[in-house]
Amino acid sequence: MEILSRVHARNLVEWAKDKPNVVVLSADLTSSVEIDLFRDTYPDRFFSMGMAEQNMLSFAGGLAREGFLPFVHTFAVFIYRRAYDQFADSIAYPNLPVRLFGFLPGVTTPGGATHQAIEDIAVLRALPNLTIAEVGDATEMETVLDAIHPIQGPVYVRMLRGEVPRLFPKPEPFCLGQARVLSTGTDLTLFSSGLCTEEAMRATQALALRGISIQHLHVSTLKPFADPAVLAALKQAHLGVIAMENHTIIGGLGTCLAEMMAEAGIGKPLIRLGIPDTFLHGASKPYLMEKYGLDALALVRQIEKLVGTSLNITRQDLADIRLESVHSQAKAEGL
Amino acid sequence: MTRSSNLEHDKLKEIARQLRLDALEMTTRAKSGHPSSCFSSVEIVAALFFGGILRYRANEPHWAERDRFIMSKGHAAPLLYAALATAGYFDRAELLRLREMDSPLQGHPILDTMPGVEATTGSLGQGLSLGIGHVLGARLNQQTFRVYVLLGDGECQAGQIWEAAMAATHFKCDTLTAILDYNKYQEMGPLSREMGIEPLAEKWRAFGWHVEEVDGHDLGALIEKLDAFKQIRGKPQILIAHTIKGKGVSFVEQDYTWHGRALNTEQAQKAREEILCN
Ligand SMILES: Cc1ncc(C[n+]2csc(CCOP(=O)(O)OP(=O)(O)O)c2C)c(N)n1
Ligand SMILES: [Mg+2]
Repeated sequence: MEILSRVHARNLVEWAKDKPNVVVLSADLTSSVEIDLFRDTYPDRFFSMGMAEQNMLSFAGGLAREGFLPFVHTFAVFIYRRAYDQFADSIAYPNLPVRLFGFLPGVTTPGGATHQAIEDIAVLRALPNLTIAEVGDATEMETVLDAIHPIQGPVYVRMLRGEVPRLFPKPEPFCLGQARVLSTGTDLTLFSSGLCTEEAMRATQALALRGISIQHLHVSTLKPFADPAVLAALKQAHLGVIAMENHTIIGGLGTCLAEMMAEAGIGKPLIRLGIPDTFLHGASKPYLMEKYGLDALALVRQIEKLVGTSLNITRQDLADIRLESVHSQAKAEGL
Repeated sequence: MTRSSNLEHDKLKEIARQLRLDALEMTTRAKSGHPSSCFSSVEIVAALFFGGILRYRANEPHWAERDRFIMSKGHAAPLLYAALATAGYFDRAELLRLREMDSPLQGHPILDTMPGVEATTGSLGQGLSLGIGHVLGARLNQQTFRVYVLLGDGECQAGQIWEAAMAATHFKCDTLTAILDYNKYQEMGPLSREMGIEPLAEKWRAFGWHVEEVDGHDLGALIEKLDAFKQIRGKPQILIAHTIKGKGVSFVEQDYTWHGRALNTEQAQKAREEILCN
């Protein structure tokens, strides 16, 4: 599997080349959120706003009113916690085209609870007019900008940085509102998002070897949440449904699925794997994923519960799995 | 300790040196953290904890009349932990567990995770407001303790700081002292380029504060000013401490690209030698 670094840095520069109305805003984290290359390439379209996020968000609202497409960048917590009111009144309510890129989702920082965005989707999903996307790999990072470009209103992108795997082939871009089908199966349905998808893929491969057949969908649009393919996959789940996300289990992917299931009258067990209802400790990503049950082994254990037998899969079995990027199994017109 | 004797001054300098070394070892060991941000605040923290400014009882961390110290620039957590350990709040061995899983020494301070940690900080801009809450709480409870808040200069770009600045004057918080670590750099470079905050002293004066400036690495001067602040009535006070980001390690000093980066073991060895020679 290919690992790429600084995907957003390079992609943004290339993408914005022929879009002079795209301006990039930073709150003293320019390098940390990979917009240093943009700053150096298009200095006139870059604004250093200092360590002042509330001002940055309302400022973005003003710029958008003047015909610009502001790309706000900072750690996610400083968008939805620090500047929520500004987000709501200066951007979302007037339905302005502002793109907000929130970095360090969930377990991706050792900085501790003040820096870990564990409830951003829960909070922002309740904000009217907002579209919410979350990237899960390098291909999605490279193509999300095109995918959201047609949207007239604000978009929040839950973003990755640094070294990111390519899980999905390059020619299969991010499609707003459409889940990717990563494996087909009839025993149970698994939904994963963000960086959990890599772990989920590890688990599904090990499980396939044990004869468990799993319908696995990668979800990258959290709002609006109305993909007919997701509904169909929920309906076909035989033993039950599992959601796996790098977010508190309250208000994220698992909750979206629960709502959809209840509304459609689908009465099946739903297991929500995610960050339990707690502020996290600061530590490395693999450690946190293991500790809070977001890794492949935790998923296997939950599936064993649904299936009702032990499958004798060890941590080593999962580590030994070689992941290749997977083509979506969805119908061609769905891509 | 207004006119500290030479002996006391030497002792204090030694403590400051050790705090700088501690912050270095801790971040190098953890392979992450903000050593340069710690280095610039070392003398300020040494003066507060060991220069007779803060009243505290390390063996009684919840002593009601203790002065409150809030590390508002929470990314300097290693320095706070080092000072608390040196003061005797907890064992120095704990320091080596910075940023480890299940260690109470988190990357940013979290209230009550270790004795002496008075506030959860790290999301910059909140500490001064917390401080005012402590001051008015003390007033209602008829307590006499003082409150000290250490601010970063980049942090002062946050609007909340100025909301707090206004409130502190409005409520005549004369038991509130802010110390501003004015190292002229934030994460991405010099403040003057990223988002200027000058004229700074004038701003605080205009907000009604008693303002003094000092060389933030001069222990004697820091203690003298902070001591004198205790006599000021009717106004909050701020000490603008002119500092050098990364102070004490030549190749880190004034180089903002070191912000949020730990030194590797080789670099740390060089740094250690420099700190010991100073
Ligand atoms: C609200 C908020 N925004 C952004 C950050 C990320 N950040 C951590 S340290 C820092 C720079 C702070 O600069 P300054 O206050 O001057 O501190 P010092 O120079 O003493 O390190 C930034 C932007 C943060 N911790 N909190
Ligand atoms: Mg500074």
